[in-house]
Amino acid sequence: MVSGSKSAGTTNGGTPKRHFKLSQEAVVVGISVLLFLIFSVALNNFLSEGNIIALLKNVSILGTLAVGMGFVVVGRGIDLTMVAVMVVGVAFSIWISSWGIDFTLAVLIGAVLVAMIGLFTGIMIAFADIPPIFATLAIASSVYGSGRIVFASDVLYAPNNVAWLKWIGSGAVFGIPASVIIFGAVTAIMGLFLRKTRFGRLVYATGDNPSAARNMGLPTRPIIVTQYVISALIAFTAGLIMTGLVTGINTRLYNSSLIYDVLLVVVLSGIGLSGGQGGVRNVVVGTILVGILTNGMTILNFSYTSQNLIKSIILLSALAIDAIINPRDEQTSQSGDI
Amino acid sequence: MTVLKKMLLAVGLCAAAFFTASTIASAQETDQVGRQAYIDSIKGKRVIFVPISQGFDLNQAWVAVWQRHAARYGFKLEVRDPNGDTNAGIRAMQGAIAEKPDLIIVQNPDVQTYARLLKQAQQAGIKVLQVNMQSATQTDSYVGNDWIEMGKLEMTELAKSCTGPKAPSHKVVWLAGVQTGAANIFMRTGIDEILKQYPELQLVSDQPADYSSEKARQITETVLQQHPDLCGIMGIWDNAEVGAGAAVAAAGKQDQVTIVTNGAGSDTGCQSIKNGLLDVIYNFNAPIQGEIAAQQISELLQHPDRQAGSEKTIFFGPITRVDKTNASGRNCWKLDELK
Repeated sequence: MVSGSKSAGTTNGGTPKRHFKLSQEAVVVGISVLLFLIFSVALNNFLSEGNIIALLKNVSILGTLAVGMGFVVVGRGIDLTMVAVMVVGVAFSIWISSWGIDFTLAVLIGAVLVAMIGLFTGIMIAFADIPPIFATLAIASSVYGSGRIVFASDVLYAPNNVAWLKWIGSGAVFGIPASVIIFGAVTAIMGLFLRKTRFGRLVYATGDNPSAARNMGLPTRPIIVTQYVISALIAFTAGLIMTGLVTGINTRLYNSSLIYDVLLVVVLSGIGLSGGQGGVRNVVVGTILVGILTNGMTILNFSYTSQNLIKSIILLSALAIDAIINPRDEQTSQSGDI
Repeated sequence: MTVLKKMLLAVGLCAAAFFTASTIASAQETDQVGRQAYIDSIKGKRVIFVPISQGFDLNQAWVAVWQRHAARYGFKLEVRDPNGDTNAGIRAMQGAIAEKPDLIIVQNPDVQTYARLLKQAQQAGIKVLQVNMQSATQTDSYVGNDWIEMGKLEMTELAKSCTGPKAPSHKVVWLAGVQTGAANIFMRTGIDEILKQYPELQLVSDQPADYSSEKARQITETVLQQHPDLCGIMGIWDNAEVGAGAAVAAAGKQDQVTIVTNGAGSDTGCQSIKNGLLDVIYNFNAPIQGEIAAQQISELLQHPDRQAGSEKTIFFGPITRVDKTNASGRNCWKLDELK
């Protein structure tokens, strides 16, 4: 029933027939290793400890968002509200803290708001049966739009005397930056949650075949609602990392391609949009590939346009290689596959 | 009898004439010369502003100034905000042209997008004032930055810190906004001029941060790994370069790396200087830019007989160098104070 281990690894022993096949995840790992080797040889200082840490730090926000998105996609959903929720949630916290409310309390209030938005999104999808792609697209727009009306400026700066926010920005444990630790923690918790808890397995069941799951008596609707609440809170966490790193948040980020980058990481690494497949390990692999690529090209001082071009070509080829190695057929394709 | 009547009439007429004359005289004494004509020419006129987005601090300052001006002298200012969407901007421009207002104010997203539309507006007899971001089409008026000068000023600032015997190195970084933006292209021209003057300066990275502080932080962090002896960074918007400042601060190199950028002069920029994230902001003072543009609005509205596009003027606003010593008062405006 649950096919979570299908592409997440061939060593689990569940599907011996696929043993010889290279999964999409393996393709991405292969490309990452190849790029890593090329950059290590060709670029000075690429392999230095400082640069590897910088590389991880630079993808911590993308990675955190991708974990949340991956979680929703596993359940055959999609959450396009993440970037809107991230910027508006944090901006809201900063905005109310400017009235004199303690910043920590303001963040907690922001988290409640964000959870309410997630709840609303979940209800729209699970109970009103609006397809997730449209529901989240519309809600993202309304969330950002409301923020635009409420906040005077696009850029909001957090107060600069909050100790924990400073720690997120510049703190480190054993030389590992706080932002990377938070990304790691979110990833680990989500990984355990999906693999080890009953709820996690239910998410796979819902994603793999929602009708079957419902016919079996699984509470698919509450599961879907919970997913969107959690992904909204993860988006908020990513927003706090950003605020810590750059002392403020720019709500205009909603207009950037960030949400598609997040989706790309998720799909690229082998979590199919049809749901029920993959896990956080895929997300980590995809995030690191994007990190290596961006870091290498920044060092090479490639222009923005050529960076985007090269990035798309490499990501497209990863998908193409997978399509050749693992062709779709009647058995592997599912209904709902985009 | 008739004589008496005539006399009375004559006296009456004289009195009336005298009275009228005296009111005219007193009006001439108490009214400023030309004031009434000025008010008459401006009152009830329609001005449409198509910005890039009203979310930017500079836009808010301009509109605050213009709205005050409009309220005082009775013209109507409408803001059609496309919120950073070029297509919505084109529609807003087309709509504005179709409505035939007396004046269109436009902040161009780049040099090409509105170039044809601006020509159409001029052909339709609508006067066009461009603010801060120029189009390839020159119209009645441009008020805003001299971006080439801005590029020169910022790179000269870096040259001061990065060419002397005490300089940590000759390595500098240019964090652009978007490469196709007018301001970016012109600033680059200015930068290249200064780089020719100081051949020892080494431009080690030239990448756009897309006006995003997080992107600026990422680029700076990576570049600092490659060039630990980096001397200077210059950028295009104070709200984005705080990210570069954060990366430099995280590396503990605030004393080594000079960060220069430009901005509208809002208080948030001054705070970033005080927090040590930025060293120098070349402040183009958006409220003053707004006042200069307000003068242009008045001038263009006062001459309805002058054909649109018949006279083309340019005015580059003031640029003030702001650092720790003068990050206060007028160099750090707050929006509430402008209203």
